[in-house]
Amino acid sequence: MTPIASADIVRTVSEQSTGSQALDADPITTEVIRQGLLSAARLLRQTIVRTAFSPAIYEALDFAAGLYDKNIRLLAEAPTLPIFMGTMSFCIEEALASVGGAEVLEEGDVILYNVPYGTGSHPQDTAVVMPVFYEGELIGYSAAKGHLTDIAGKEPYSTNTLDVFQEGTVYPGVRLYRRGVLVDDVYRFVIANSRTPVDVAGDLGAEVAGIRTAAKALCALVERHGLETFRVCVERMFDHGERVVRDYLSAIPNGRYVGHGVMDDNGVETDLVPFEVSVEVDGSDVRIDYSAAPPQQIGPINCPLPSTVSAARVAMAMLAGNGEPPNEGHFRPLEVLTRPGTLFHPIAPAPCFLYGWPADQSIEVIFGALASALPEAVPAHSGGDVCALVWWGKDAVTGETWTDGAAHPVGQGAFAHGDGVSANFHHSEAGAALPSTEVWEQKNPWIVEQLAFAPDSCGAGRTRGGLGLDIHFRLLEDCLVTSALERTRTAPWGLLGGKEGRPNDLIVTAPDGTSQHYGKITGLKIEAGSLVELRTGGGGGYGEPAERDVASIVRDYSLGFLTVEAIERDYPHAVSELETHITA
Amino acid sequence: MTWIGVDVGGTFTDLVSYDPTTGQVRAEKVATTPRPDDGVVTAISQSVGGAGYSDIEYFVHGTTIGLNALLQRTGGPVGLLTTRGFRDVLEVRHGTRGDVYNLFWTPPEPLVPRNHRLEVTERVDANGETVVELNEQDVRDAAARFIQDGMHSVAIVFLHSYANPGHEVRALELLRESGFTGEVSLSHAISGEYREYERTSTTVVDAYVRPDTRGYLARLEQRLADDGFDGDSMVTRSGGGAMTWAEAKDRPFESIASGPVAGAEGAAELCRQLGVELAVTADVGGTSFDTCLIVDGQPQVLYKGSVADHPVQAPWMDVRSIGAGGGSIAYVDAGGLLRVGPRSAGAFPGPACYGRGGTQPTVSDAAFVLGMLGHGDMAGDLVLDRALALAALETLSPQLDMDAESIARGIMRIAAASMSNSIREITLDRGLDARVAALMPFGGAGPMFACLLARELEATRVLLPPFAGNFSAWGLLVADTAQAMSRTRVLALDDDAVAVGSVILGELFTTLDERPGVEITDPVREVAVDMRYRGQAHAITVPLPSDNGVLSLTADEVRAIFTREYERVFAHSLAGPIEFVTWRATSRDASRDKSFERMRVTNVIATTDSPPVRAWSFERAAWAEYPIIARAELEIDRAYPGPFIMIEDTTTTYIDHGFTAELHPSGAVWIVDNGAQQ
Repeated sequence: MTPIASADIVRTVSEQSTGSQALDADPITTEVIRQGLLSAARLLRQTIVRTAFSPAIYEALDFAAGLYDKNIRLLAEAPTLPIFMGTMSFCIEEALASVGGAEVLEEGDVILYNVPYGTGSHPQDTAVVMPVFYEGELIGYSAAKGHLTDIAGKEPYSTNTLDVFQEGTVYPGVRLYRRGVLVDDVYRFVIANSRTPVDVAGDLGAEVAGIRTAAKALCALVERHGLETFRVCVERMFDHGERVVRDYLSAIPNGRYVGHGVMDDNGVETDLVPFEVSVEVDGSDVRIDYSAAPPQQIGPINCPLPSTVSAARVAMAMLAGNGEPPNEGHFRPLEVLTRPGTLFHPIAPAPCFLYGWPADQSIEVIFGALASALPEAVPAHSGGDVCALVWWGKDAVTGETWTDGAAHPVGQGAFAHGDGVSANFHHSEAGAALPSTEVWEQKNPWIVEQLAFAPDSCGAGRTRGGLGLDIHFRLLEDCLVTSALERTRTAPWGLLGGKEGRPNDLIVTAPDGTSQHYGKITGLKIEAGSLVELRTGGGGGYGEPAERDVASIVRDYSLGFLTVEAIERDYPHAVSELETHITA
Repeated sequence: MTWIGVDVGGTFTDLVSYDPTTGQVRAEKVATTPRPDDGVVTAISQSVGGAGYSDIEYFVHGTTIGLNALLQRTGGPVGLLTTRGFRDVLEVRHGTRGDVYNLFWTPPEPLVPRNHRLEVTERVDANGETVVELNEQDVRDAAARFIQDGMHSVAIVFLHSYANPGHEVRALELLRESGFTGEVSLSHAISGEYREYERTSTTVVDAYVRPDTRGYLARLEQRLADDGFDGDSMVTRSGGGAMTWAEAKDRPFESIASGPVAGAEGAAELCRQLGVELAVTADVGGTSFDTCLIVDGQPQVLYKGSVADHPVQAPWMDVRSIGAGGGSIAYVDAGGLLRVGPRSAGAFPGPACYGRGGTQPTVSDAAFVLGMLGHGDMAGDLVLDRALALAALETLSPQLDMDAESIARGIMRIAAASMSNSIREITLDRGLDARVAALMPFGGAGPMFACLLARELEATRVLLPPFAGNFSAWGLLVADTAQAMSRTRVLALDDDAVAVGSVILGELFTTLDERPGVEITDPVREVAVDMRYRGQAHAITVPLPSDNGVLSLTADEVRAIFTREYERVFAHSLAGPIEFVTWRATSRDASRDKSFERMRVTNVIATTDSPPVRAWSFERAAWAEYPIIARAELEIDRAYPGPFIMIEDTTTTYIDHGFTAELHPSGAVWIVDNGAQQ
């Protein structure tokens, strides 16, 4: 997956099949090894979830982890944060390059690496990379990248950084463990550069525990089957993944399909930032072209190359991966084009704290592009964001700093065969979990006054979008909040005549009754007694609203999902039946 | 005098009876009936005969009645009463997508539709302080709606009711005053723990299965009484142990996942009797493989489970399940690899070799073609058809370019690998090593995998339980009477907190003692507390030593116990403040004599004169002659080297070259890897 520059366009592709080697592999042993690798990846994930400290890891699954072979090809990963998953190969390559290459690695080494332009992420997303040795021979890598709660930076969470140095401390590929022994100098340096040292220590410990567990599982698998058998079966496994994806892609009519997205603003300036992604299908090859992107921005919505590639990989895995976690083979039919100096291929040290926002949106833009070719294969647009809020303040009694953050679910886009799901996490953060109100109130100075579906927030259509949520926080003490809300100015699109859903919104009402709307805002002071209303977006509709069956519309009314006014506006064909129902 | 265990499964109703005076044990297997009590009564009648009902001293039941109500959506209708602003908690769940790679994933419909979820003005905060008084008129209005809409039961779930149940209790009174006569479930009495979605789900599940469960138990009770039964009747709990029917009618959600529990209980009892420190179960039926760890004679219990995608906040046996069983269908995927499951041919049409119209190849077809099921004489006079099995396997030949027998071997290897992965994950999760565990295969399709799994796991010992095909029913007979109750109260660890906790535990044990229908005369009381480092959200459950339920520990002693437990689970510990989260009280009655030493098996295949079968040896990678031996023929203190096929009424065990079987006096059979013998 080495990027190849030609003129000013960069082309990123996966290493292609070695062909002949795979022919020697027995298909039964290949399946047994494939299942064994997936099992090792599940252990990796489970160990991290079980031992992590911060909710970002164990509740929001804000991490990814996988096993790679000696050539840094993805062997297996367990479903975690989708947008991270396609970046891990870059993390390993760059981490290796930074210490002088694979040759200098020793058994038990763990490299700590978070250069944003190598990981694709903001600096908080810190990778740990461990070479795996079997009988003294390097056979692969076990790696994880997780969001550390705080590694310095100008605020715990920012939407207005001007370069990466404001965003967090950089670990440029340093050994956290050397031959299995903690490098204390490095460790203390990392812990010292955090507002939440206990969380960082705990979460780093969890990542290391996870990759060690998986490394052991990988060695045990190789031991069971023998290194040579393992190698040829892995080649066949990659070929298998490739076949699954090509089988799907070849059903798409050849052509160039263009999708359009738009960012609210770049976090510093206020203009909309529209962008375009095109998808070219040629037989079973697919090229995702980000090269028409706008120039890189002065605010932190720049998406470094690894995350751009990851977004394309995630979109492909979700569409064409047969419902299973991908391996390197799944990525072979995919070529990604980017242009250095743009939103999707920024040049260091452009700020990238919100890199995930354009990446996440581009996944849906790719689906939107394919809607004309494959209308049954993709949903309408969702609320379009992970709706992140990060809170912090000083406890009124103890004076200790508290901090909390969460993503929030949105309505999902309608699709050919069903209504969108209400209040469900964005594809890009599929495994996340909305925290419990009771747990929140045990530790944070607020009362949640409401957590409810928002009637009429869904886009109308033959099938309708899912509903967004209205969550009302009443603050009991002063605090600060960073809102990283995206897609507050542009509504979620419908497909094939379906209507738009409600966009995201955040409204803060001070005790004196004055209200203000926000999208992206960093370190906003909230006074005790204020009401903070988060309104998450609804999904777009699918197909003409006039084609929605009347019984479903009446049912939506009786469940309180739609009001009479919305039905009169969007579904006039159901009004008489509705009146009969109400009278009855 | 007879003890009887009856376990109702999806396909078969299994019975094991035991006479403690003579040691006589009988097993019965009948088809599960649409009204499950019919099958239960048939099985009991067959076992004890018409006159024998009065002889039954003790009857333990494993039922799926509540589970079926959930799966088939026959329960309810349920009304839900919540704190204003929170009626959607049940449907929002955690917003998690159940399948990361499925763009169209859709959660199951909520058990209570939105128009039957009503809100009342009231609010309690996390400390149990009332922030907003209960609006009593709201409750009366809701009662009128519930009555008008014909709700059979109502679940009441108010925020933080675990800290202050006052409003829930008052709301119940108001519902009654307003004329609501159906069943009512109060969340603080059902769970007592925080996390409103899980508590709401649990309370709704309870309300939902209440009418079906109570009706079923009452009907069965009446039928048994009509036939002269007047002994004690019990039902198994999801978290292990058993409870009286009176308690089960009051807390039906506690029996919701009793299915896999009996097998785990039985395995644990056998481990205790034989002194086995670490075991893993491999319970393989028609559609699924269940595995559970038994450590020091105890199954592993969690405090949150999930049933049909609904979380349940209750003690829960840590049984992991994957879709791999005898009926699992093999196919070739889009990328050209052979895959097994999770789709199953189920009971109908069943595997192709059953001759009931199945044409897709299954695990059972593969095993039979490889000779692992002997000549194919199965329970219920079923005779397997080899030609049909071969024909089904051959449907995959063109895609794989392999013959039927190679495909069969592939299916068995892949199924065994999936099962082994699952066992490895559950053991490594606890920091344990599957290689040193005894593998306990049971269920109809478990014993045929015994040697394959042992090899995959590099485990050297297999412990084949008595009545391996009906082992769940056997497990029912050994379940202790048990009850549990918990309450969330977050407290920083110090001596004062230990004192507060002692008071909470005292209240919990009193509540348990006063539960209707509970007949534990001399309870053994156990204490555990969920604890964590401050800042963590996940806690670990730490058993604390107590003087029959009364804590006499200092904060320093508790800290040391927590640290030791944390290190055991995570292989490291941390500095920093520790807190208590949820207090757990368990009572059990261990007074019943379960020494089954005199157990004498009666109605099984006693001998066989079947000729040897040609079967595939996975050890030798070659075909070989496998003698057929009836399990009842085995003699104690004699080694039976493989290969052979061991038959019994309800299952078949495949013992390969390189393994040797020996009968243990308990009736279990050890199958040991020859290479491991000293």
